[in-house]
Amino acid sequence: MIRFLICSFFLLVFFVSCGTYQYPNASGIRESAPKELNNYYIDTAQTFVYRAKLDAFKKHINGSLLVKTLARNEHRVALISDFGQTLFDVTISPSEHKLHYTMHDLNKRMVVKEIVNIFRTMTEQRHATSAVMFANQQHYYPVYVVDNCYYVVKERRVERIQQVKRAKEHLTILYGEWSEEDIPTRIVAEHKKFPLTIDLTLDVDQSTF
Amino acid sequence: MNNKLLYFLIFLLPYCAWAQTREMTANERASFQKSLQKLVEIKTISADFVQYKHLSFMKKPVESSGKLYLEHPDKLSWAYTAPFQYKMVFKDSKIFIDDQGKKQTIDIGNNKQFEKISTLVSSSMRGGQYDEKEFAVSYLKRGEADMVRLTPKLAGAKKYIKEIVLLFSPANKYVEEVKLVEPSNDYTRFVIKNRKVNATIDDSIFNL
Repeated sequence: MIRFLICSFFLLVFFVSCGTYQYPNASGIRESAPKELNNYYIDTAQTFVYRAKLDAFKKHINGSLLVKTLARNEHRVALISDFGQTLFDVTISPSEHKLHYTMHDLNKRMVVKEIVNIFRTMTEQRHATSAVMFANQQHYYPVYVVDNCYYVVKERRVERIQQVKRAKEHLTILYGEWSEEDIPTRIVAEHKKFPLTIDLTLDVDQSTF
Repeated sequence: MNNKLLYFLIFLLPYCAWAQTREMTANERASFQKSLQKLVEIKTISADFVQYKHLSFMKKPVESSGKLYLEHPDKLSWAYTAPFQYKMVFKDSKIFIDDQGKKQTIDIGNNKQFEKISTLVSSSMRGGQYDEKEFAVSYLKRGEADMVRLTPKLAGAKKYIKEIVLLFSPANKYVEEVKLVEPSNDYTRFVIKNRKVNATIDDSIFNL
């Protein structure tokens, strides 16, 4: 009996963890015409400096986030504190990353993995061939699907990325405001699993675009 | 082609000479240390600073600026004014922080790390002695300017700082520049300007 209960418990856990994510108000997924998404960081001549406010595990850090496009879908991303201390400096591409430096306290496998995931999701250009279907299309903006990410497009710009892991929301990147050149000037990244929020405001004077 | 290269190198020579750094001779070191002793008489300093953060992949440094106030023996105000507002006051074994109106106080009574930072800034500005247990101290000359290089000896500090370089004015021996080099060789340079020595500092500067 006990063996049966244990087996049932693990099967239940297995099926729950394998559940699929249902996008709010979606009726299914359809094929779409190929769509380029997240074209914000593709020009190698551009360097972006964002004012960063980071809240993580009840700690607050102010600083600057630097984003430099090295090649198509290869970005160097560094976070520095207001006092000039480098917190991390990493090159991110779709399938790998190279850590140039991370402050000793942050140099933990899990932390680095999450940092890379956040900034890869924020900077990576994607190509969608699927989109979410809604029962009433007129009330919703187009939502494209690439792997485990949902891209909400408003006025031809990606306004929000929702990343899903194990049938639950894992990360949300919200692009709030844009410059005339279509550069995101306000971005909020909110982690759904850990208490981690990064609020970014573009420092136009220190950026090159 | 060879001539062009030669001209180019000749053109560079004066810059190389300017940038050349060498160890001080025993006499230079004695004279430099003697001149620093005069700075111990400093009671207050107020100055502007510009902070340049250099990263290897950035063409231009990330710049910020602000004001610093120092009152012997234990008051230090470090305030950024551009491109953001952020003020820190070290006083009475506490750090008072004003982050655009969001205020907090950190008790550093037991935090040796903050105490060391405050002491290092104070002693650098006032020409105090460097703690040779914590740092290997090198006395150098760059052109006419005197330089001190502090290399951390303790493993804890080495994780964060590779070296600290202080550049002194040839004219009055005040610290003109502080360079903090990280283990990755990226560095932050602080340039001190518009210094006023022993002028009265209003108490409100140290109140948050």
